[in-house]
Amino acid sequence: MNEPAVAVTGVTKAFPIPFQRRSLLAVRDLTLQVPPGQIYGLLGPNGSGKSTTLKIILGLVFPTRGKTEIFGQDSNLAGSREAVGFLPENPYFYKYLTGRETLRFYGKLCGLRGARLKNRVEELLDRVGLTSASDRRLGVYSKGMLQRIGLAQALVQEPKLVVLDEPTAGVDPAGAREIRDLILDLKHRGITVLLSSHLLGQVQEICDRVGILANGVLVREGALADLLAIENRTDLVFENASAALLREIEALAGKSGARLVEQSRSRTSLERFFLEATHSSAESRRDE
Amino acid sequence: MSKSGHRAFSAGRIAAIGGNTFTELSRLKVFYVLLLFALLLIGNSIFMAQFTFQQEFQVLKDIALGSMSLLTSVLAVVATARLIPQDIEDRTIYTILAKPVTRFEYLLGKLAGVLLLLALSVIIMSALFFIVLKVREQTVLGETLRQMHASSPEQRAEALGAVRASAFQANLVPGIAIIYVKACLLAALTLFVSTFATTTIFTTVVMVFVYFIGHLQSTARAYWLQTNGAGGITKVFLALVALFFPDLQLFNLLDDIVAGTAIPLALFAQTATLGFFYTGFYLLLAWAVFYRKEL
Repeated sequence: MNEPAVAVTGVTKAFPIPFQRRSLLAVRDLTLQVPPGQIYGLLGPNGSGKSTTLKIILGLVFPTRGKTEIFGQDSNLAGSREAVGFLPENPYFYKYLTGRETLRFYGKLCGLRGARLKNRVEELLDRVGLTSASDRRLGVYSKGMLQRIGLAQALVQEPKLVVLDEPTAGVDPAGAREIRDLILDLKHRGITVLLSSHLLGQVQEICDRVGILANGVLVREGALADLLAIENRTDLVFENASAALLREIEALAGKSGARLVEQSRSRTSLERFFLEATHSSAESRRDE
Repeated sequence: MSKSGHRAFSAGRIAAIGGNTFTELSRLKVFYVLLLFALLLIGNSIFMAQFTFQQEFQVLKDIALGSMSLLTSVLAVVATARLIPQDIEDRTIYTILAKPVTRFEYLLGKLAGVLLLLALSVIIMSALFFIVLKVREQTVLGETLRQMHASSPEQRAEALGAVRASAFQANLVPGIAIIYVKACLLAALTLFVSTFATTTIFTTVVMVFVYFIGHLQSTARAYWLQTNGAGGITKVFLALVALFFPDLQLFNLLDDIVAGTAIPLALFAQTATLGFFYTGFYLLLAWAVFYRKEL
């Protein structure tokens, strides 16, 4: 049987409110499992308990009740994090370190030394596209570059699980696309990804499973394809279909008792439109 | 060792955190403190011409060791107070503790970085001090020779010997070592306070109080014992006060050193052991608070 990458069982987290008897319930009786090799999206509005759940899984915050395991190991033990890489929301790394020094530092924390560390650092700098900026201090990095170096540090020890808290928050569309491609690449390498986000479009594009949190309660959970499928509807997409053909299909559908609910021209997404526009503008500037 | 083969204590991880802390503090330009020390020494030398050479060396040692003690104490508190709150505020602590790093390793690494910085600062200040002392000694020797050119060789040798004897003295070295031990203790205590303090300013203010209470408590204790007697409860109370407000006066060997009195080895060993005991004790207290701290 495949051991879940993350198992959260009956977790409740209450934060005491100073000078009051009551406490704030950030997470209530949460149970979920992240299957290995998948991308799992933890969704919810601000304050729904996403970040607290991730922190509990990483042993940064302790649950009031319940337990969390990473690949079968109690996540409060530092040893469980041998297999984990984490990128917090809006991370600030040490500004006085260069990109390369940052990766070397985190590599050393994971026990990497010598040639192995050096090779791993260069490989990661290349993978996140920061080789040319690797000797610059992080103080001058853009938001997107910081996210990418953050992702690289999360991957430094080749973890089996990567936890990302709002990985594209505050990043421009091109940067968000790069990060999304990197996340998909992780999946292809067999790495489990657990991410939190409230950007539903992006989650829909990359996640295999999602859990939706509201007020600390898991209100929906399952495979994305199952959750979003509308039982009695089917989409057909044609290319170069004439008006006559469409009329014929509609008539045929009517004869069999089906009803055409919607017919529209396919559209590109605003994101793709934006990326194409900014890309071609950059290309023409380069040509000039 | 755990199921995953993870070691609960790794010198490599502590060295990585310690090295990074040292880099962080060095790049914050805390070494300006050393510049201040150099200026104090040079400024001091300018006003010394009016003294006899014994007075001159005594004042030089007094000012050098006194300012070395004060500056390392300030450096220990200021450098340590910001480390943990800054990491929490910047969320860099998440990325470190999300690696297979235990909280004890994190604290020990941070403290090790500060102790390394303090050691380097003390070494540089000592080197500056010894250079100034040597230069002054050479100047005084030259002047003595000039003044005594008509005296007999025996008298000249005696006078030069007196100058040398009152310049560099071996007891300066253990005295400086104790200054370092005191700074280590203050750094560990600051680390402990910073584990529950919410701001760097709060930690610094608490440490200023601790510093003054620590220097005054031996006098207060003597007065207390004189007026109230030394009953069992009093002794326990005083021991508890001494645990949280270390008697910093015990680490003040400067008067003896400046007066040229030799520091007995036993006293040096006892004071150093006490200092390292306090340092270890405060590190453990910091861990006790930090172990279950919600981040």
